[in-house]
Amino acid sequence: MGFRRNLVIRFSKWASNMSQKIRGGQGVTLPGYIARTLDHHILTSLSNDVRKKTFVVMGTNGKTTVNSILYHALAAEGEKVVINKTGSNMLNGVISAFVLATDKKGRLDADYACIEVDELAAMRVLPMLQPDYLVLTNIYRDQLDRFGEVDITFQKVKEAIEKAPKLTLLINGDDVLSYTLAQESKHDFMTYEINEQIFDDKSRSEIRESIFCRKCGHKLEYKFFHYGQLGDYTCPHCGLTRPAADFAAENIKLLGDGSSFDVQGRHFETASPAPYNIYNTLSAFSALRMAGIEAPHFEEMIANYDYANSRESQFEIAGTHLQIHLAKNPVGFQQKVSLVLRDEKPKDIIIMINDEYQDGEDVSWLWDVDFQYLENEHTSSIITAGKRGYDMQLRLKYEDIQSEVTLDMKNTIRDCIDHRTNNLYIIVNYTGLYSTNDLLKELADEYAGKEA
Amino acid sequence: MKLNIAHLYPDLLNLYGDRGNIQCFRKRLEWRGIECEVTQYLQGEEIDFSNIDIVLLGGGSDREQEIVCEELKKIKKGFQEYVADDGVVLAVCGGYQLLGKYYKTNTKKIEGLEILDIYTEWEPERLLRNIILESDLFATPVVGYENHGGRTYIGAHQPFGKVFYGLGNTGKGDYEGVVYKNVIATYLHGPLLPKNPHVCDYLLQKALCRKYGEDVTLAPLDDELEQKANHYIVARYSNKGNVLQETIKRHI
Ligand SMILES: [Zn+2]
Repeated sequence: MGFRRNLVIRFSKWASNMSQKIRGGQGVTLPGYIARTLDHHILTSLSNDVRKKTFVVMGTNGKTTVNSILYHALAAEGEKVVINKTGSNMLNGVISAFVLATDKKGRLDADYACIEVDELAAMRVLPMLQPDYLVLTNIYRDQLDRFGEVDITFQKVKEAIEKAPKLTLLINGDDVLSYTLAQESKHDFMTYEINEQIFDDKSRSEIRESIFCRKCGHKLEYKFFHYGQLGDYTCPHCGLTRPAADFAAENIKLLGDGSSFDVQGRHFETASPAPYNIYNTLSAFSALRMAGIEAPHFEEMIANYDYANSRESQFEIAGTHLQIHLAKNPVGFQQKVSLVLRDEKPKDIIIMINDEYQDGEDVSWLWDVDFQYLENEHTSSIITAGKRGYDMQLRLKYEDIQSEVTLDMKNTIRDCIDHRTNNLYIIVNYTGLYSTNDLLKELADEYAGKEA
Repeated sequence: MKLNIAHLYPDLLNLYGDRGNIQCFRKRLEWRGIECEVTQYLQGEEIDFSNIDIVLLGGGSDREQEIVCEELKKIKKGFQEYVADDGVVLAVCGGYQLLGKYYKTNTKKIEGLEILDIYTEWEPERLLRNIILESDLFATPVVGYENHGGRTYIGAHQPFGKVFYGLGNTGKGDYEGVVYKNVIATYLHGPLLPKNPHVCDYLLQKALCRKYGEDVTLAPLDDELEQKANHYIVARYSNKGNVLQETIKRHI
């Protein structure tokens, strides 16, 4: 390892440290920016120091969870793992993760790296990182104005993959877009799939994106649908057909407070009742197996894994149960609607929609979510909030669903804690996640102070 | 009274929440006690325009538009006659482009319906942002979101509106869309109608008058919320500080 690299790393860490002291920020992208400016090859150099394998996780939905499960699974086997944190999945964030993982002497001591990469950032990250494995969870419409349309995302991911020749792909075989992409690429790939119909109508919605064959333009036929475009498809014209799964989840049982299923003769029990977490767990386990890792502690790790830890969180404040859920695109939002409906206790729901750059400035996608199910006997009230709170309220109005709008999130949550059902769901899109999390922490402290 | 709404190729042309436009037509008729039947026409289905009061042609990706192009050849004559006979049409984004002579993408030339004397050419920079129009047809501004790679040249046609904020037909920020007979063609998503109930009611009124005679008037609805959502966008871009801030954000 060069003297120069050592210097670059130490300076980047020092500068990030200073900046955190000055601004109190998270400092998750700055060291990467500095390190890259000083040394263009820093990421390649650092990732070469990973002793065993580097995994990259990409895809519209689920990548943070999959990457986190992968990390915990490897850690449970006693491996040393580099991981990038939520919100740092662009180039600077990825470099920062490596820089911050070095020791005082600027050395990286890691067996594996698990890196979540944004689909648009992949073009720059993959060639520098040269990962061994790529897990592609799915390709949906997301943050429309940033990506243009799903075809553009498809092209960008494909071009990025071509710049990492030694890569082996793991894809969701139920997603025709991912499968087509894997076929069009020159890479080896393996597939994971769900062979049983486990999703209900409410999670399926009417969204039918890209159900046309990319090869010949004919409409695909489905034996069954999961949600989004996921399912068992075949093209009657050119014969494109969902491939046989290398890894399949079987004997799936969804329970009130968890789920269980089998993969390759291994039995997993999880603490998440959400069907999409079957996919997330399945893909992480499949990635390990694809890399030849036995992972004997996976059962134990996943039984205790907290699916709500990373992007979503739960609070208990003065007897009220509060949960924050992230929903940033139609497919994801529909899943959340279905999840909320699984809870048959009386509840209040706040939906907060912002339109910052990270959220997507265009909120048209709200009209692609089927909200008509939200109003039922268990829903006590629905409150809309955020910069586009009126847009959200309008969306509900056109389903004849009554709602209130709030401009003061804090007082509204206080009101829910003090006067409503003691069971509050807060559904937010991207930027609302952090502000709401902070708000709930503040309120937790405030109420703890009142009781003391 | 009853209106028949035709949603053309919703499985292909269904980007960016455009089905919200259908929902808006449907509810604003229902709330006034007027019947409404929405028929989805898929690839390969016969369309009898004589029984249709409103046509919605939405937007799709360039790839999907190529598929639609083949379909349109089959209904071209019927569609042209429907428009000539004052049929009501709302065409959004890709639908707008397809009403013209052609859309030249970076790889192909997609033939249009030749209902409007306009053409579209693709450029690599996508035009993306909130947009506000001042239209001669309405006292209230029209707000939406534009998201298009194509530049549409409308020749001598009357534009749908003058751009107050945004980029418009060719990206120059002058005019947006086309109004021709009872056709409104525009790039505005949002979706267009819910935040612009005046545009929705304008089209409904045209369709009802065409079917039931000139004296049909629409009962007023409580549009306070619609106005708030519309006004939020107008107020945001009427503030010079906000406009400057967004311009700076866009360039860093
Ligand atoms: Zn095919």
